[in-house]
Amino acid sequence: MTSGVLARRRVAPWIAGAVAIVLLVVIVVAARAKPAEQRTADSPLLGHRAPAVAGAVISGPAQTLDYLRGKYVVVNFFATWCVPCRQEHPELVRFAAHHASLDDAAVMQVVYGDRASTVRSFLHKNGGDWTVVDDPKGSIALDWGVRGLPESYLVDPKGFVIYKITGGADDSGLEALLRQAKAGETR
Amino acid sequence: MTRTRVAWLALAAAVLVAVGVALSGGTDHHATAAQRADAIAHNVRCPTCSGQSVAESASPAAQAIRTEVRRRIDAGQSRQQIEAYLETRYGSDILLTPPRSGIGGLVWIVPVIAVVVAGGALVLALQRWSRRSLAHPSDEDRALVARAEQR
Amino acid sequence: MTAIVGHSAALLGLLASTIGGVSLVVGLARGRTNLVRAAWSYVWFVVAAAVIGMGAMEFALVRHDFSLQYVAEHGSRHTPLLYTIAGAWSALEGSILLWVLVLSIYLAALTLRHRAQREDPVFGWALVVMLAVAAFFFFLLLGAADPFHTIKGVIPTDGPGPNPLLQNHPLMAIHPPFLYGGFVGFTVPFAFALASLITGRVDEGWVLAMRRWTLVAFGLLTVGIVLGAWWSYEVLGWGGFWAWDPVENTSFLPWLTATAYLHSVLVQERRGMLRVWNLSLVTATFALTILGTFLTRSGVLESVHSFSESGIGPLLLGFFGVIVVVVCGLLAWRGDALRSPGMIDSPVSREAAFLMNNLLFAAFAFVVLLGTVFPLIAEAINNSRLTIGRPYFDRMTGPIGLALLFLMAVAPALPWRKASKGVMRDRLLVPAWIGGITLLALVVFGVRSLAALVAFSLGAFAGAAALRQLVLAARAARRSGQPWWRGVVGRANGGMIVHLGVVVVAVGFAASMSFVQRDEVRLKPGESAKVGRHHVTYLGVDHVKYATRSAERASVRVDGGRVYRPALSKYPFATQAIGTPSVRSGVIDDVYLTLVTTPSDPKGTAVIGIIVTPLVNWLWTGGLIMGLGTAMALVPGRRRVPTAPASQPGPVPEPEPVAV
Repeated sequence: MTSGVLARRRVAPWIAGAVAIVLLVVIVVAARAKPAEQRTADSPLLGHRAPAVAGAVISGPAQTLDYLRGKYVVVNFFATWCVPCRQEHPELVRFAAHHASLDDAAVMQVVYGDRASTVRSFLHKNGGDWTVVDDPKGSIALDWGVRGLPESYLVDPKGFVIYKITGGADDSGLEALLRQAKAGETR
Repeated sequence: MTRTRVAWLALAAAVLVAVGVALSGGTDHHATAAQRADAIAHNVRCPTCSGQSVAESASPAAQAIRTEVRRRIDAGQSRQQIEAYLETRYGSDILLTPPRSGIGGLVWIVPVIAVVVAGGALVLALQRWSRRSLAHPSDEDRALVARAEQR
Repeated sequence: MTAIVGHSAALLGLLASTIGGVSLVVGLARGRTNLVRAAWSYVWFVVAAAVIGMGAMEFALVRHDFSLQYVAEHGSRHTPLLYTIAGAWSALEGSILLWVLVLSIYLAALTLRHRAQREDPVFGWALVVMLAVAAFFFFLLLGAADPFHTIKGVIPTDGPGPNPLLQNHPLMAIHPPFLYGGFVGFTVPFAFALASLITGRVDEGWVLAMRRWTLVAFGLLTVGIVLGAWWSYEVLGWGGFWAWDPVENTSFLPWLTATAYLHSVLVQERRGMLRVWNLSLVTATFALTILGTFLTRSGVLESVHSFSESGIGPLLLGFFGVIVVVVCGLLAWRGDALRSPGMIDSPVSREAAFLMNNLLFAAFAFVVLLGTVFPLIAEAINNSRLTIGRPYFDRMTGPIGLALLFLMAVAPALPWRKASKGVMRDRLLVPAWIGGITLLALVVFGVRSLAALVAFSLGAFAGAAALRQLVLAARAARRSGQPWWRGVVGRANGGMIVHLGVVVVAVGFAASMSFVQRDEVRLKPGESAKVGRHHVTYLGVDHVKYATRSAERASVRVDGGRVYRPALSKYPFATQAIGTPSVRSGVIDDVYLTLVTTPSDPKGTAVIGIIVTPLVNWLWTGGLIMGLGTAMALVPGRRRVPTAPASQPGPVPEPEPVAV
């Protein structure tokens, strides 16, 4: 193209500029995105009444979740074949023992896709005297929206779900959440 | 009519007949409960798998959801009600397709708009080209020639 | 020791590509050809760096050098040798090392093949671009994705090995190299596109030079994608092969734009048109490979391929941003020089068909990209969480796929410039009748699904059209005294074979999606079940211990014939049992068996999953045909003088001295 003969419409910079802007917006959106794993800790149950935990009790006292109203409850979904679940188990034992004496919090477990006999022998060997409910059809897990193991939910004394923890829970983390919840209560 | 013309017309007729037979074969609009449950199951994500629907997954969570969907279908609930229930348990990302309303609707409507716009641009461009044949020089061409002749 | 070698190699690669690139830029800008010529030798240092780096990694893996964190996390003494070697690219850092190695192979090939054109500025600038890309990836290897990071403290004596799903099947070992051969291969045409824009030589020279390179990359990418789908089918246990998973989509997007580009350049070669389209398509192909690498390695999207999160995300995104700015800037600068005086004379012409092709592929890519990143966009706008899954993609891309099948049938029969009705009628009559007869036969057989009917009859139409071209080409070769097989090699004829492969894939895809039958049956030993036209008999279960795992295997006899053994394997470090399906493959359908639940005692009830998928093997066969067709397109065709683009300006006559 010989220059200076005729001024042709300079369309290219406009179109190129528009495309660049659209793509840069996409880049900004992608840059601010949270990693996928973080999203699983949100739950639609947060702030809502906890669903029932109704099923055959295979270990511990025959109590329902309602019976524990008035205390904080850690509802934990687990299975013995799940390695992180086995790793968090001693943490739950410690937490439960500490708060049994204080009588302000308790642990409740739901079996997810595991055999009752296997669970009983695991608890017999590793401790844990709380209520353990069997969920052979997975309906409790469905009600709570469980997406993987292990998952734990913290229920406040009024029966509302206030936290969801994915992956293994540990004693100090649970204590911190409990302190936070209690502080929020008194506000 | 030439032989090829006849052949094309015969083909068109045959195709129309075949399609007519296929469509009129009586599509059963009243699908069975199992089929309706299956249709919903194909639209629900298996929560413990990566990207499969509960219809395709054998995991315990998928089986539990399938059973629940079937139970609710038998109890007379509609597809919207069942999907809404699952959303209250797992969150809105449990469904494999976003709802048509709200922000999810964008992902349905934007491609359609893009296709319409592109199609329109194509039609306009083709019209412009067919109008501008070589026998009709544009003003720019005339100016070019005029300048060359001046030199 | 290995870590030192590896780190030094990465450093050498970074230095060589940076110094080489800078000296090339200086030499090209100042016109110092001796500097330019010398800079080409830096390529060999880059190649050496990549080879030494990968060699060090393989050495460490095979010798179980657990002092390297990568080997400690992904290696194991019990993994078979093939998977240990493939472990080099089974995780993030190693895959960047593979990228660098493939890139250096392409650099070496480019240097050797175009030795004579070393002083041509277009080739010089293309090398600058490729060295810049190499420098970026070496930079990643030194920092964010360091495969040679050593463990501080206690060195373990054994490792967990690769993810159990990655050591199930040999396809896993070869799928990444093919895929990367494709992805990285598109760096070459991209580099040349940028070089043509930088130098202002926006005519057809770079396009002609890049023909073979783009075909090779396309062929490798096609085979890589098909291998990935095949592996997914054989291993993952859900009986499907394509779930529109984000990682699958990001490998598919460059394929779409590359296919559009391969077709669209024919118009540019013939008539000098669609230049902006071609430049945009080839730069988009490369940019999409980088965006895809970001999406799959940054962890922002959940996927079956999820790599661990690392600091690599922002760097890749930044690189993508740089590419966007550079390409848009160059196109803004040179864009108006690209407009050709040629135009499309008629809507019924091959040029118009290729333009339509571009639009359809662009729409396809747009829909897939939108669906893949939309969850991120929705979250950014109002924090809502959405999933865009299979039903959306199937519904949106189905019509586009069918339109492409139709175009594939009609376009090769269209003449350039303008088609008369008579010509079209004669050329397409037989293929159209074959499509029609297929439709009638299917309706008679009882097929009532409209989507399947359209897909099959269009497939027959397109297949017949492609066969017609091949037959005509073979006949023409014979008539001009050459052997008949000259009619099936060369770009146009190889392309027809690829089209045949596409038809086979499309038919397989339509059949396996529309007519799959699934069931889960509870069987005691000796009991049978029927799914579709197949009988399966459950015989019993046994327990097997391997070096790396323990498995429960069910024995199932299919149709009174062979016994198949679907299994559930327990690996020591995994949280759940991994299912191993067992597949009886056939031409007409596959019987896909999974062991869903093991019985609690050997005489108890097992739950067996059975999936009967028709024509699923046509997918892999079609993929193979596409690969073969691409290889045959690379063979030089009949000797023909390439047509000079019709828009090329003729020589300007010397002005006559005016007699005064």
